[in-house]
Amino acid sequence: MTGERGLEGLAAARLWAATRFPYLATGVFGAQVIPEAGSGTVSVDESWRMRADPELTAAWTPAQLGSVLIHHVCHLLRTHGERAQGVGVRPDEARLWVRAADAEINDDLVPAGLDLPGRPVLPRDLRAEDGLLAEQYFDGLRRARQTESGREGGERIRSVPSESGETAGSWLDCGSGADGMPRPGQEPGGLPSWQADLLRRQVAQDVMAHAKQPGTVPAGLLRWAREVLAPKVNWRALLAAELRRAVAEVSGAVDYSYRRPSRRSAVTGPVVLPALRRPVPEVAVVCDTSGSMTDDLLAMVLAEVEGLLRALGLARQVRVLACDTAVAPAQRVSSARQVQLVGGGGTNMGAGIDAAAALRPRPAVTVVLTDGYTPWPAGPPKGMRVVVGLLGDHAPDAPPWARAVRVEP
Amino acid sequence: MSASNPAVEALGVAVAARVPVLLWGAPGTGKTSAIRAMAGAMGLPCETVIASIREPSDFAGLPIVVGDEVRFAPPAWARRLAEAGQGLLFLDELSTAPPAVQAALLRVVLERAVGDLTLPDAVAVVAAANPPEQAADGWDLSAPLANRLCHLAWQTDPRSVADGLAAGWAAPVVPVLPDGWQAEEILSRGLVAAFLHVRPALACAPPSDAASAGRGWPSPRTWEMAARLMAASGASGTGDEARSALIRGAVGDGAGVEFLAWLVEMDLPDPEQVLADPASFRLPERGDRAYAALAAIAAAVAADPTPERWTAGWQVLGLAADAAPDVAAVAARVLARCRPDGVALPAEIHLFAPVLRDAGLLSS
Repeated sequence: MTGERGLEGLAAARLWAATRFPYLATGVFGAQVIPEAGSGTVSVDESWRMRADPELTAAWTPAQLGSVLIHHVCHLLRTHGERAQGVGVRPDEARLWVRAADAEINDDLVPAGLDLPGRPVLPRDLRAEDGLLAEQYFDGLRRARQTESGREGGERIRSVPSESGETAGSWLDCGSGADGMPRPGQEPGGLPSWQADLLRRQVAQDVMAHAKQPGTVPAGLLRWAREVLAPKVNWRALLAAELRRAVAEVSGAVDYSYRRPSRRSAVTGPVVLPALRRPVPEVAVVCDTSGSMTDDLLAMVLAEVEGLLRALGLARQVRVLACDTAVAPAQRVSSARQVQLVGGGGTNMGAGIDAAAALRPRPAVTVVLTDGYTPWPAGPPKGMRVVVGLLGDHAPDAPPWARAVRVEP
Repeated sequence: MSASNPAVEALGVAVAARVPVLLWGAPGTGKTSAIRAMAGAMGLPCETVIASIREPSDFAGLPIVVGDEVRFAPPAWARRLAEAGQGLLFLDELSTAPPAVQAALLRVVLERAVGDLTLPDAVAVVAAANPPEQAADGWDLSAPLANRLCHLAWQTDPRSVADGLAAGWAAPVVPVLPDGWQAEEILSRGLVAAFLHVRPALACAPPSDAASAGRGWPSPRTWEMAARLMAASGASGTGDEARSALIRGAVGDGAGVEFLAWLVEMDLPDPEQVLADPASFRLPERGDRAYAALAAIAAAVAADPTPERWTAGWQVLGLAADAAPDVAAVAARVLARCRPDGVALPAEIHLFAPVLRDAGLLSS
């Protein structure tokens, strides 16, 4: 907490912020504030250091400075700098990204009492609805800019001017903590990234603790805290891992065979050693085509499965079965686009699994893609591994003998 | 590259402590060259074994009939390391090794046993692997093998690549651990044990899904590993970031982060002790820690507001008011609300009047 004395009114501003937004107090006090004369802005870097121009902040009330602190802490909590790199924000788009990031923060904090100087960027300034992510706002802005520059040859995005003619959020450079662009002359130091992670978790825990009294914490912030404490697992990675494991277990059933002698026999004299042979698994995919399934999601997951199997070198072995209560004949396909999904009545995945087990050569791995509203066989099919992809938000659980992955778009 | 990159620093500590370590990184990012350069800088022989093109018998020993018994002959690389008495065993392409070979590697990694031969204790085991989603024919590591290794993410930053191309690659520095560094292990084991008392569920938590099975996960073995790595990083004066990477690499991200957060909390003063002796209170340097400490003290008073505790609480806030008036004022508001009957207002309350007035909080 060095160097903070130089900024007039900081203590009152932080006290205002910590009182009005008690669930963010840890974050507000965790950021280091450094006065920097002549910068003309209040900016923040990714190491939780804020640089404030005393001349600018002198004109603000404690509530306004406190609100700017809260706003900047939210940039850090929501890792806007890192996310900007994830989206591939180019330097000339940095301002657009910051507007999108501002909108993500402000949409629920301004109604909760944030008193920012100037006019804060709100989603409606970007012609978007509340409660989206910065990436979504940015996508809209980027597209608007492209069509705009195509039509007029102009560079700037036109935004909705306020009554006073002032453009929302145009007064501030939020710094590298908001847009991820390195600034010249930024010395190393500040909070190391792993401590910043711990701080972020602590704030998320504070938010969850305050949320026990309903109506105290804005919904968007609560969503953020849940995501930090229990990150949503990417179903693509999970499905890939389950599929790899099923295939690996089958092909890992390596056995010794005397059909081909070991290449090491030369050194063992009269002893004939067996060689290892590795089975190449056959894979079947059973698709639920009952009326309750949505085709788009099914096609997306099917394409994903196909890509995974191709990566494992198994694409040619795949057979696809469309199944409702009856099973359509197996189609051997080389691309997800060739699959014809017939059916559309009631659901019984048991029939589909039986049909897969009856295929010759017998598949060693069966992937079932369903919405879960189906009867299941009581036990696992003999000698076959089953990976179930449960599609949709409210799919019931799969039976315990199958490996299940929830696919939530 | 060495000091700025925590993964490199962490690698050095793990090698110095002789804890088996696994580097995860995209192909072509210099894992192999860094490890070979490190061995060269240490003057140690380095044996590179590419696991994916080996058979299980290369690690379990090749059966040879000698007289009327079967011996499991170790391959030449194991012999060379055993004769040198020290060195680096580098297992490359671990994730593309078929499951049967991974099974054969279990004893090599942890016990350094290759067939009938046991490698000397001074041999360090280092492995490298590509994440399964990047290697076309990759498998996830089996959970037992993953549990024997400290997992480090190998990241390259563009600047060190540019420097390396222009000026040659700097070898990772392996710190020399002072004699008797193992004594610190008792301390770090104590910390781990105290943490596991609070969170017994994390003592052993095998991963439930296939994706996290191939990374570090908490088990008695990995907690022991984490304690050893903590001691080694303490003895070698490693940065906090590398230490955090080592702990998370051993027991996995989830358990590791909880343990680190618990360590940070351990640094905070105990509210009851402070209330018993307010003059002993030292305000933590960092703002969020100061806030956590003062909030805990105010909460302790509010939970049992006797006149003595209430007055002691104000004394603590008086000590903090100069360095951090805003942080102390937040706690002061909590204390003001739980004033015991018949106790006079403390003198310290006046310290907070200006800042409370500025923030517009005094009128209410």
